[in-house]
Amino acid sequence: MKRSEEPAADGGTPEPTSPFQRVADEDVGSGQRFRQAVDLWLLAPARIIWSDWRARIGTLIILLFLAMGTVGPMVTREPSPNTGPRLLKPFENVQYLLGTDPKGQGILVSIVHATPPMLQMILGGAVFTIAVATVVGIVAGYKAGWTETVLMTITDIMMTIPGLPLIIVVAAIVRPESPFVVGVLISINAWAGLARAVRSQVLTLRNAPYVEASRTMGLGVPSILTRDVLPNLMPYILVNFVGAARGVIFGSVGLYFLGVLPFSNLNWGVMITRAYNSGALYSGRIRHWLFVPLFTVILLSFGLILFAQGCDRLFNPRVRARHSTTLDEEDVETEPEDGQVTATVDQP
Amino acid sequence: MTSTRYYTKRLGQSVVTVFAVVTLSFVLIRLMPGGPVDYLRAQYIQQNLSPEEVQEKIALYTNIRTDETILEQYVGYMTSLAQFDLGRSIFYDRSVSAILGEAIPWTVLYMSIALCLMFVIGVSLGAFMAYREGSYFDTLSTLTAIVANSVPYYIAAILLVYALGFELSVLPTSGRMNPDTVVGMNVQFVLGVFAHAALPVLSLVVTGFGGKAITMRGNAISELGEDYLRVARLRGLSERRIALRYVARNAILPMYTGMMISIGTMFGGSVILEMIFAYPGVGYYVFKSISARDYPLMMGGFILITVAVVIGVLIADLTYGKLDPRAGGESDEAF
Amino acid sequence: MARTDISDDPMASSQTTVPTTTDPILELRGVDVTFDMDRGQSRVIDDVNIDVQRQEILGVVGESGSGKSMFASALLDAVVNPGTLSGEVTYRPDPDTDIDVLDLSDSDLKRLRWEEISMVFQGAQSSFNPTLSVRGHFTETLKAHDYDVAEGLERARELLEDLYLDPDRILDSYAHELSGGMQQRALIALSLVLEPNVLVMDEPTAALDLLMQRSILSLLNELQDKYDLTVVFITHDLPLVAGLADRLAVMYAFQFAEVGPAREVVLDAAHPYTRALLRSVPNLDIPLEEMQAIEGSAPDPVDAPEGCSYHPRCPLATEECRIEDPPFETVETGHYAACYHHESTAKAVPFDIEDHAPEATEEWP
Repeated sequence: MKRSEEPAADGGTPEPTSPFQRVADEDVGSGQRFRQAVDLWLLAPARIIWSDWRARIGTLIILLFLAMGTVGPMVTREPSPNTGPRLLKPFENVQYLLGTDPKGQGILVSIVHATPPMLQMILGGAVFTIAVATVVGIVAGYKAGWTETVLMTITDIMMTIPGLPLIIVVAAIVRPESPFVVGVLISINAWAGLARAVRSQVLTLRNAPYVEASRTMGLGVPSILTRDVLPNLMPYILVNFVGAARGVIFGSVGLYFLGVLPFSNLNWGVMITRAYNSGALYSGRIRHWLFVPLFTVILLSFGLILFAQGCDRLFNPRVRARHSTTLDEEDVETEPEDGQVTATVDQP
Repeated sequence: MTSTRYYTKRLGQSVVTVFAVVTLSFVLIRLMPGGPVDYLRAQYIQQNLSPEEVQEKIALYTNIRTDETILEQYVGYMTSLAQFDLGRSIFYDRSVSAILGEAIPWTVLYMSIALCLMFVIGVSLGAFMAYREGSYFDTLSTLTAIVANSVPYYIAAILLVYALGFELSVLPTSGRMNPDTVVGMNVQFVLGVFAHAALPVLSLVVTGFGGKAITMRGNAISELGEDYLRVARLRGLSERRIALRYVARNAILPMYTGMMISIGTMFGGSVILEMIFAYPGVGYYVFKSISARDYPLMMGGFILITVAVVIGVLIADLTYGKLDPRAGGESDEAF
Repeated sequence: MARTDISDDPMASSQTTVPTTTDPILELRGVDVTFDMDRGQSRVIDDVNIDVQRQEILGVVGESGSGKSMFASALLDAVVNPGTLSGEVTYRPDPDTDIDVLDLSDSDLKRLRWEEISMVFQGAQSSFNPTLSVRGHFTETLKAHDYDVAEGLERARELLEDLYLDPDRILDSYAHELSGGMQQRALIALSLVLEPNVLVMDEPTAALDLLMQRSILSLLNELQDKYDLTVVFITHDLPLVAGLADRLAVMYAFQFAEVGPAREVVLDAAHPYTRALLRSVPNLDIPLEEMQAIEGSAPDPVDAPEGCSYHPRCPLATEECRIEDPPFETVETGHYAACYHHESTAKAVPFDIEDHAPEATEEWP
């Protein structure tokens, strides 16, 4: 039933095992792969992402936050205490659209000015997670023997360390001020699970025909890894980047909430903590001070998850296969070849 | 034969992991600024004790022996640990095993209820969504699941405290039992225990079921597209058998390892939640011990959390091969 | 449900010649399979008329995309959603009983499938539940059809032995533990465990190496003799099935182009497409430049050409071919071709079997 198992009998040639075709199969050069790569990872995803409602909404939300983090601080004035009326409620005053806190600072501008550090934190944490996980996973998956044993033991230990409590301890030691460092700190053991997953993907890829072909041609390990293995992992890594970003948001806000990170700059987590500790939950006058940052956190992670969901649908061949219409699997597809024996069917 | 070797190897790996984590924690904990003595001094000064009294109280804790080198402390600690002696809490002045032993059941209680509900709801919802793929029910459930999954559990906890604890006042928002009930198997006590566990459980379930549902939906959808399912229908199998023995079983299998590990991580994940609900379980004591630089209690908590995770992973690894015939012995895909 | 009189078949009165047989076990008349797609209706089986003779091996040959898998599904009324099957499919368990397959209740249809007409798919591994043992597949099938399990498993063992497999080993295995050839044979045994009369095989050997293909074909011959089976063997590989089949039916663009005794279809093909197909069969003995690919491409199921669907690629195409779809015409008794010019194809598309499939001729004395 599956197309991949059916030898391509194209354009009226009933015999698939022609000598021509074997030549064609081995001859998928890097040029063709590069063109396929551009189409596969840039153009096609962009088109499909826009066609999926989840990914579309997710993209819009992420863009909104990116704008808030970049343009936002330039067009709004940084909030300073005692410059506005205190404890305005949301939607009472156009100048302070979401109200003000007990110090008279606009809540909306506070949220906006807290966005850049949050984005830096996410960037630091997610890049760290992805980079470490990819390197460890690929190397451990491709190089057998001692390298693998050592890397996997470290990974296992990182997966088992008591995550949050240990992060609290490390936070107490390093007292991180820079948002990037906070991001890395929170992701200190987040890479381990991903590294394992990358490794098992590499293990399957290791035996893929074209990787074997590269090895037969005498290509070195680094070039096989960058040419053949890494490109195939990119979609997977991208989806996990979003997952890591969500982890950083949840983790950082949680740690600020517990009060274990230094309150050095404007931060949604700090706003939540201050409001919560002022009893905002039980007082209608300042409740908006607590709820606005709460929902900001939810909105950003909602956007990220929507985006990851749409991407997953796009990249996950198991999910995608089912969505590429039942017709394709049922021997109904029309084939674009011109009937030449040498034409091979590219998997869409 | 080979399986015995495999078990032995995995067991060995686990022991090494625990050892490494304990060592790492031990070193990191001593690197934290301030020590138990500083913390106690600050506490006593806040209590308006005279400097003499403070000095006297602190002298009681000379058994901390901070004058030893880290290496000596480490050897000493590991020696007592080998005899299952976790030491004495500085802050609570009780044996660490007693404190943790008393806290464990409470965390296990609400965590296991939450995990069970999360998986049952997530898996069944995901399966229904897969069967109705593309329907309004599916779209609406997907959206709900994603929204739920976007909320950090502690934010859900805050919102639930506000809605159910404060506005409606139907559930207690702190503590783990009604203070005026007698501990034992009486109705008031048991009801109180469950009422106090309700909000922590809800916070976890409300934010956790969505992720499971989405995973299950994806797995079940790809199962539904498998050729063997079509063959099974042609062979005349009942939809019930196909749903249970084919779709559900094969779709749940990849989630099994995650389930086992999340049972292991329940203690580690309890910190923020137990602080919000002032629920004296493992996470509560771990956080208190970190704030108080209570080295023995901290170490005890870390060891408990680590051992639980290691056991969870170990059980997952060792049993997965029995459940999925495709995983022969060493299951690389188990994670 | 049962029709007694088949002589006044509506199709018989039209000018279309229907390729009939003397004792058909399956009879398809005016069968269509359609899918509604965004860009229009996709007709993947288009007004197909054909008989399957009792206890024959019918080879159905077509390139990928010709609708041959859909044809297989149509025989069991097993077209997957959202496809719709219409027309008449009549099953005759014996010459005097007619069963209208498309009119069966769910429970009757369940009985028809696997108990009467069974099916083997390409890619045996994906036909087995990976987490269920082979024995489990046999047991659940027997239970689902209320057969005696112990008796059925005895039969399964016998079938497995007939297929030169070790029954105990196979039954206790999971699909992934077996080789491709073993999986395919185990799947054949599974398809025969309820003692069906008809076995439909959709590309059953496509994933196997040549040696295993050959041995499965010869096993199939033995099974057919032993169990009085009717076999519909669907493949893209004409030479493979030519030696096995009693009759061949060549599919092109969702219709049958030519139907006839295997030997006649191969040695004296009347449809230009069949001839082109035979000519494109690679043979290592002839120089590559003499091998001919068929010019042009297969038609789109949504937008099939007017008239004969082969005319854009056919060297013989005339105005008539472009306007009207040719009906079946009798070439010789039992040999039909849907072509206005079947008498002149031999000259227009020269083809000598000796050059192309020497092995095929060896099997016919």
